[in-house]
Amino acid sequence: MVNLNANISSILPNISPDGIGMPKAGNAAGEKSDFADTIKAIEKYITKVDDLQQSSDMSIKDLLAGKNEDITSVVTAVAKADMSFKLLVTVRNKLIEAYKQTMNMPI
Amino acid sequence: MEVKNALSPIDIATSGLRAQSKQMEVISSNVANARTSDTGKGEPYRRLEAMFKTDGDGIAGVSLDRIATDMRDFYEILDPGNPGADEHGYVRMPNVNLPIEMMNLNIASRAYQANAAVLKRYQQMVETTLDLLR
Repeated sequence: MVNLNANISSILPNISPDGIGMPKAGNAAGEKSDFADTIKAIEKYITKVDDLQQSSDMSIKDLLAGKNEDITSVVTAVAKADMSFKLLVTVRNKLIEAYKQTMNMPI
Repeated sequence: MEVKNALSPIDIATSGLRAQSKQMEVISSNVANARTSDTGKGEPYRRLEAMFKTDGDGIAGVSLDRIATDMRDFYEILDPGNPGADEHGYVRMPNVNLPIEMMNLNIASRAYQANAAVLKRYQQMVETTLDLLR
């Protein structure tokens, strides 16, 4: 097991030097900056999710106001917004969990 | 994972939903005009047919290509009392065959259901994947 961990941490920085792909696994090496990079990547994703939410909101409003009568486009927008939001929430929960676990680690 | 790729099955399934509702629109026009002997152009209603095409090469959604008119002969029914009848007492009626329209309606609604099922199942798949993170 010890050998395996050493291999992984020595290989991973080569695979994803920018730390967007799998920075969490690289945390085992003790780098704090990787976690910050993840938070930055999440920020980008939040704006994407926000865009999807806004467009789904707009399509619902248009449908209710009678501007748009295409229900399928509303369904698409809402489904996209729902799925991306669920992904965001799950990743956020996982990150907070990881943060808590790290903070509760006995030193 | 790129967001666009992860959501493209939704777009494809929605294009299928849209195409099938267009098909349903055409069928409803055919059924509603099944006995329309005058369209104002001097001939009975001609049956319409929706033609679809793919949106691109490989994996792609579907979109409406065009709405073609059925050029088959009109039905002629004997109705001498009808003011639109010719000298032999025949009236030209639309080339709409109701049983065929009913079958097309079944096909369209089943295809719509299938696309909706794909959409729903894909959402379930994504949720299953997200469950792995929990």
